[in-house]
Amino acid sequence: MATTTFSLADLKAEGIGADALARLVPALGMEIEEMSGSDVTIDITPNRPDMLDFIGFVRAMHLFSGKRRSDAARYAVSGQAMHISVSDSVAKVRPYILGLVARGTNLRGDRLRYMINFTDKLADTYGRRRMKFSTGMYDLDQIKGPLSYAASRDGSFVPLESSTEMSFGEVLSEHPKGLAYGYTLKGGRGLVPFISDGDRVLAMVPIVNSSHARVTESTRNLFVDVTGTSMPAAVQAASLIACSLIDSGAVVSPCVSDYSSGPVASPLLDYRSVSVSLSRLRKTLGVAVDAGSAVSLASRMGYTAGARGTSFTVGVPPYRLDVLNDQDVIEDVAISLGYDKINPVPVVSASVGRPDAIGKLHDSVSLLMMGMGFSEAINQYLTNERECLDLMRRQADQASLVRVEHAKTENISMLRTSVLPCLVRDLGRSAHEKMPQRLFEVGSAFAISGGRAVESYRVAFLSEHSKADFSEAKGVVLRLLALIGARGLSVDRHNDGAFIEGRCAAASSAGKPIAVFGELHPEVLTNFGLEEPAAGGELILVEEREYQA
Amino acid sequence: MVLVLHPHELAVLEALKGTGSMPFERMEKELGIDSGSLRWAIEGLLSAGAISVERRTGTTLELTDEGRSDLEAFPEELLVRELMSVGGSADASSVKNGIGLIWAKRNGWLEIRGGRVTLSQAGRDEASGTKQYAQRSVLKSISDTGVLGAQGSDAVVDALVRRKLVERKTRNVIDSVSITEAGLKLLSEQRPGSGAEIGALTRELIGNRGWAGRRFRSYDVNAGVEQGSPARLHPIHELISAIRRIWLEMGFTEVSGPVIESALWNFDALFSPQDHPTRDMQDTFFLANPKSIGIEDAKLLGRVRSMHTKAWGKPWRLAAAERALLRTHTTSVSARHVRKFANEPGSSYPIKLFSIGRIFRNESIDYKHLAELHQIDGIVIGDNLTLANLIDILTKFYAGLGIRPSFKPSYFPFVEPGVEVYYHDDKRGDIELCGAGVLRREIARAMGTRKSVLAWGIGIERLMFNLLDISSLSELYRNDVDWLRSRADTSL
Repeated sequence: MATTTFSLADLKAEGIGADALARLVPALGMEIEEMSGSDVTIDITPNRPDMLDFIGFVRAMHLFSGKRRSDAARYAVSGQAMHISVSDSVAKVRPYILGLVARGTNLRGDRLRYMINFTDKLADTYGRRRMKFSTGMYDLDQIKGPLSYAASRDGSFVPLESSTEMSFGEVLSEHPKGLAYGYTLKGGRGLVPFISDGDRVLAMVPIVNSSHARVTESTRNLFVDVTGTSMPAAVQAASLIACSLIDSGAVVSPCVSDYSSGPVASPLLDYRSVSVSLSRLRKTLGVAVDAGSAVSLASRMGYTAGARGTSFTVGVPPYRLDVLNDQDVIEDVAISLGYDKINPVPVVSASVGRPDAIGKLHDSVSLLMMGMGFSEAINQYLTNERECLDLMRRQADQASLVRVEHAKTENISMLRTSVLPCLVRDLGRSAHEKMPQRLFEVGSAFAISGGRAVESYRVAFLSEHSKADFSEAKGVVLRLLALIGARGLSVDRHNDGAFIEGRCAAASSAGKPIAVFGELHPEVLTNFGLEEPAAGGELILVEEREYQA
Repeated sequence: MVLVLHPHELAVLEALKGTGSMPFERMEKELGIDSGSLRWAIEGLLSAGAISVERRTGTTLELTDEGRSDLEAFPEELLVRELMSVGGSADASSVKNGIGLIWAKRNGWLEIRGGRVTLSQAGRDEASGTKQYAQRSVLKSISDTGVLGAQGSDAVVDALVRRKLVERKTRNVIDSVSITEAGLKLLSEQRPGSGAEIGALTRELIGNRGWAGRRFRSYDVNAGVEQGSPARLHPIHELISAIRRIWLEMGFTEVSGPVIESALWNFDALFSPQDHPTRDMQDTFFLANPKSIGIEDAKLLGRVRSMHTKAWGKPWRLAAAERALLRTHTTSVSARHVRKFANEPGSSYPIKLFSIGRIFRNESIDYKHLAELHQIDGIVIGDNLTLANLIDILTKFYAGLGIRPSFKPSYFPFVEPGVEVYYHDDKRGDIELCGAGVLRREIARAMGTRKSVLAWGIGIERLMFNLLDISSLSELYRNDVDWLRSRADTSL
């Protein structure tokens, strides 16, 4: 989710007060993250990038509150087209460019800041950190000569946020924007795409603009480019920005990109038509809405709409990028209607619920362990090799560990291979509290076997006090084995670094080892900070969890 | 009538019978009676004239009022938690907790440079609760045991005294105890079942009815005792059990699915574009081992591929769908079951399912973010299921937890319409409970069904803030033995 911040005074000037915000923003499915002092910060859901923009936000609020009506004729281009000649050299690095011209816009006050925030956020989210597309703005009146879009290894200009001329290479290795967005040019064999008017570089895309033709609050006429690696995304972005400029009072003229394969004009400001059946609407929402109401509800969400017998047809405004088909329109009708107007209707069924077998097993093992004086612990599955293996004096084959990549938290590198280490750590942290201390945990452990990740389901227990010994651990294991009905039992001496040699055993059922238990090795106790003797063990309840479907 | 001695009193006299006198500390060790009880026995015998006592002055440690108020958390602990919650760094001028700042700095938990306060690794460890703070452990042990001398390193005790959290008090303490003539006489008169008041009831007294016609010595019912130390379920288990019970009562069947999942079930089946930011490593734990999980359902793959290319236009790569990860939501389990029950012969619709399980988010851990959480997912598969049905189901479910939910629009990529369920709390404002919606038709079709599907996902941990009055999610999984024994009841 992206957030956007507007000045309350600017909204007030558009007739939107704090009360209206508090009512309308959640009703539209967004959230006010913070309203304090002079600003409001709103969480905009990713399906409505148009509302990241001040003008788009005001538009949505005015439509929804009925202050403004949807109008198909509003978003149109006029005037003579500008041309950009596109060199084949960009094909391998950033192949697409579209443009548009806006005359008579107003960027005074906060408007310029809003516009920059909007286009930056758009390129960061929808544009996937400028990879799919990004946009640039220029003072149209400063642009001389024909525009061209080409790629080259050499070139230099004075970028924004710099006082001196820099080469393309220097921008990539030194300029903050070059460091942040240079990655988008990887794979372009050193070619840097740029826009120029005659001999002058206007922008190195999608990195940074030249300080020449820079846009200020007093700029009235704009040229806007959208470059990228995805043509459909660039087309959508150009439409979105054009609508915003039109609503700011500007006249938008088209721009033609002249590729060697032919010209491409932009922006495309067409209303896509989507037909919605009234019965589908009723079957999705569970309330009957007649054609007339559906049309007026859809209009409040910005659609142009008309009823046609058992269905209605909407025109999707060019700034709405999220509407794929009738389902999206139905949701908007529901939002317009208000979710509080939808009365609950029971689902008719006579089904009987059944619990999962594993939950029942967890419950019965827990009751038994509590009866023996053990409190339940629940630990995280994520751990690291040091805690799960090294401090336990255990070893494992690297290839058998389920390991994660690039964890943001240092002490996470793998899923636990055993539950017992978690309990030892827990008691180590509780060292100063009253003895005896007894914990158990029922849960999963993971290993890779035969190229597959295997999830086993286990119970581990640990008892710490001055008299904790092998017999206590064995007694618990025998009771657990009786609970799960293990047959053909044998108990044999076992070696496990976590336990004292000669005081560790494995229990097998029908020749298969299912439990290990004993007295914990004093070095393990010291490693985790336990001060008293401890005895414990681990028993496999389900060797491999299998999931249906 | 002969005075009947308490077993502790008897033990003291027995110990003195041979030696005549004994230092207090040695007696404590030999008799194995805790010092409080032993002092009580000695005072009793003293007032009966059975012993004499040598005293000396000694030092005890006692908590001050401030010390008592810091028992739960020291200012420096609060400070590092607070810093952690704002990303580990803040303007020095914004820090009002001066004492906390001094001690956190002294402990090496933070650095102050250029007007900013920044947590060190030690500070982060502290805030995430991986270690218990030594000063607090010692303070707690002094508070619990009230014993003479220090239970930790002297340096820590000195620090606590300097901070005026602990006071050294000089008191008269018992040095040694000697038996008197009267004591020897009293001892010689003690005979089990000799007709005097009964102290402890024994197997023999029960068997031979030796208690008949005799008085039981009365106890001081107001004497202090320690609370019981119950073995208890973990609160998450209690909450999960309560939630499971509600779904079962509503006729839902429990299902489960793997924690280690393919991107297909976690993302692609749910319409998440392959270049979507949440698929980046930022939020998802992709696995280094195993790297990928093969998918055999060719029919499904074909339909998922066409769903993606139709909506997102991009090439859809099988390798990205087979990438192995830790599921980021249990909606993957729901997706698997929509597929399973798409055309399961003999099924009677609507089919109502729920699942409870762990989910994983590759996030920086702080008081409200954990890398590992629990989630409940639910689905209903049937004909013409509506938003009105969904609202009915979730209203009934939350009623079972004593919550009256409200519904508002929200966006989730796999449902349309999307719903957010929340409730209003006068103190904390609107609390988000659950995301829900009508599954997108594209997804249901790709899973092989023309039925409609209602779906929802509920985070469990956030409910705990309310139920247990905890301040940090990491408290839940620290499994501190004292906390597990004495935590508040969840009233579930």
